Amino acid sequence: MSTTSVLPVDAPGSSAFTRPEDGIRRAYRAEVRKLSSQIVIRVVALLCLAVPFIFAALLKVQSGAPADTLYGVWVHSSGFAVSLVVLASAGAWGVPLIAGAVAGDIFSSEDRYGTWKLVLTRSCTRSDVFVGKLLAAATFVVGLQLLTGLASMAAGVLLVGAQSLVNLNGTLFSPGHSALLVFLSWLTLIPPAIAFTAVAVLLSIATRNGILGVIAPFALALAMQLLLLVGTGIWSHLLLIGAAVFAWHGLFNVHAYLGPLLVGVAVSVIWTVVCIDVSWALLRRRDFAGTPVSRRQGWGGPVRVVVAITAAVALIAIAGNWGPAGVTAKRLRTDLTPAFNQLTVLQQRELGRHVPAGAKLTLVLPTCNRRGSVPYGPGEWICTIYVQTPSPGALPSQPTAVAYDVSVNWDGCYKAQSPPAFIGQQMMRDAHGHNVVNPLYTIYGCFDPL
Amino acid sequence: MAALRASGIVKRFETVCALDSVDLALETGQVRGLLGPNGAGKTTLLRVLFGLVAPDAGKVELFDRPLEWPESDALEGVAGFVEDPSFYPYLSGRVNLELLAELDGRAGTAKIDDALARVGLAGRGDDRVNGYSTGMKQRLGIAAALLREPRLLLLDEPSAGLDPAGVRDMGELVRELAGHGVTILLSSHQIVEVEGMCDSFTMLRRGRVVWDGTAEQLRAQAPASAYHMHCSDDARALELAGQQRGVRATPSQRGGLALAVDLGVLDSYVLALGSAGVAVRRLELLASPVESMFFALTSDSERPRNEPPELAELDRRALAGT
Ligand SMILES: Nc1ncnc2c1ncn2[C@@H]1O[C@H](COP(=O)(O)OP(=O)(O)OP(=O)(O)O)[C@@H](O)[C@H]1O
Ligand SMILES: [Mg+2]
Repeated sequence: MSTTSVLPVDAPGSSAFTRPEDGIRRAYRAEVRKLSSQIVIRVVALLCLAVPFIFAALLKVQSGAPADTLYGVWVHSSGFAVSLVVLASAGAWGVPLIAGAVAGDIFSSEDRYGTWKLVLTRSCTRSDVFVGKLLAAATFVVGLQLLTGLASMAAGVLLVGAQSLVNLNGTLFSPGHSALLVFLSWLTLIPPAIAFTAVAVLLSIATRNGILGVIAPFALALAMQLLLLVGTGIWSHLLLIGAAVFAWHGLFNVHAYLGPLLVGVAVSVIWTVVCIDVSWALLRRRDFAGTPVSRRQGWGGPVRVVVAITAAVALIAIAGNWGPAGVTAKRLRTDLTPAFNQLTVLQQRELGRHVPAGAKLTLVLPTCNRRGSVPYGPGEWICTIYVQTPSPGALPSQPTAVAYDVSVNWDGCYKAQSPPAFIGQQMMRDAHGHNVVNPLYTIYGCFDPL
Repeated sequence: MAALRASGIVKRFETVCALDSVDLALETGQVRGLLGPNGAGKTTLLRVLFGLVAPDAGKVELFDRPLEWPESDALEGVAGFVEDPSFYPYLSGRVNLELLAELDGRAGTAKIDDALARVGLAGRGDDRVNGYSTGMKQRLGIAAALLREPRLLLLDEPSAGLDPAGVRDMGELVRELAGHGVTILLSSHQIVEVEGMCDSFTMLRRGRVVWDGTAEQLRAQAPASAYHMHCSDDARALELAGQQRGVRATPSQRGGLALAVDLGVLDSYVLALGSAGVAVRRLELLASPVESMFFALTSDSERPRNEPPELAELDRRALAGT
């Protein structure tokens, strides 16, 4: 140890004794630096960038389409649909995975490396470090999510093209309008992404176990997706962050409805605030006294968390019927019918037939019935639309019945499919001889469940 | 001015009372040894002083500013580490220091180079910490503390894991820093290591302060030193010891005699052996006065204070190499 430099001796009140300002910013910068040098984060970033391109490239070489996902059948027709399908998976489990990978270990890693005492004996207070870490985690989660969004838009546009997107009412959105809506949809994922980050942070602090912090947000997201499948009421569903990740659906109607989106933002904020408050309460009163002798090691903590989560899941499942039904026959009927109408016009135009502006099919008494004991709520429905076919030779008074099998989600989004008797095959040859998607074969729609 | 004033610190962990109303005061520029056997509460006390652990009772002032838990501005100017310093293993030593400098708001490459050079890690700063040896981590810990340009340095077993050269350098560094007016509190259970660095000592035993004072006071109050002696005639030497005031001797387990004697008395005893025709072949110091005192104060047997530790016990320790 060389003894070269000389240490000045300061009196109290001098700079050596005053804590520099902006502790949060310093803690944030240090945390960003730590995160960006972690191999896991780099791998996740690479995946966020690469997966959308791989997905789009796979679509290029094979003809299948993820029809069960909203906009799934359109992935070969518009690059924006590719981005929306990626968005749906990102919301369901991608973002929770990212949140877990970034934030699930951000506090527990200090326990694993024994570095709390290192960080907390510098010129940042405990709250500076806490807030700095939170902000860094949120920055990375949101950044990676937006990276996925931009990558998916780029992949879609480059590999499929920037064609107009069919909206949920059966008309076309211009490419510019579509791009804007897709981008906005990715932005609507930010509040739930931050809420998942807060959940991961809470688990990281409460369990001091990195594995749990990383996996739990993902497990929670899956549990939420399952819970959204049960019950006919809307209140308990709206309380889940898992619902907020699909709130963008409402943007793709001609008259966008924002109710679920606003509720989703509010619910995400509540989850975030609660998780952060509890996290801070735990961290604030924690003693950093080395490895406590009596602390339960191993399974004690994880088991308690699992029990608590199971109890919460059971409770929410029981509460699944709470509140009014968002899905009713009337709502479904009044949404599906005009969409069918518009899509028929679209189909005829694509086939090169002249349809005058404002033309309408003559529809008689469309009916929708739910399969199952209750006549309302999400699930499998059958809707029958009676069409007076304008084709020559048909009797004007003889309506054709077109039956659609409709699977409706709790949030009013549905997928309707019909046998090809009236509407034709899934793929059809358009006026220019191209193989295109028959817009009437699979109809996607969403109505406001609130 | 007092650099550190702690009074009535109590900390309980479920069943153990790790600190039992501990008082500690350090004047600016002092180098204090915090001594005690394993589990005495040294690390816990340092954690309290660092604000890492909130005590159940008591208060602390650092440079006349009250320390608050869990966060306090009073910790500016204070640096050091508790237990073995740990770092982010996936980053290099230098990047670790850069991160800490960032947290301190004192970034500067020159400072980091200087700190690395001071602890002899100049050539290894760019290696990842997970490739560091225990002693290298210890050195990096010291570098991390120096980066803060501390006025008060709290070091928990700073020489643990260091090689002999490292221990010597550590001593030099402590003296140099002390020379610049830095107040230092260093804990150890190896009194020999810190004896030469400290100007005062606080001894802890089972969470209580059992002795507190300057090095001179300690030497003045210290009991006789303990020696191990080989001579030509053990029986005669034992007999002479019985006749000389202030000399206690017992046969040692490894042959020869174990002695408890003050330095002045030792001289006349050796002369007496010579005139009686007994040749002294080897005389080795088993425990310095300070060490004897340390053993006496902190050993678990309920012996009255200032009484020399059983020679047999010292002999056993010498055999065990501690
Ligand atoms: N986190 C904890 N939980 C429970 N007991 C603890 C905890 N930390 C310390 N203790 C207990 O407090 C007492 C003092 O421990 P401490 O680590 O302060 O001793 P020490 O003097 O530093 O010992 P050593 O020389 O071995 O480092 C011990 O009995 C220890 O078991
Ligand atoms: Mg210790």
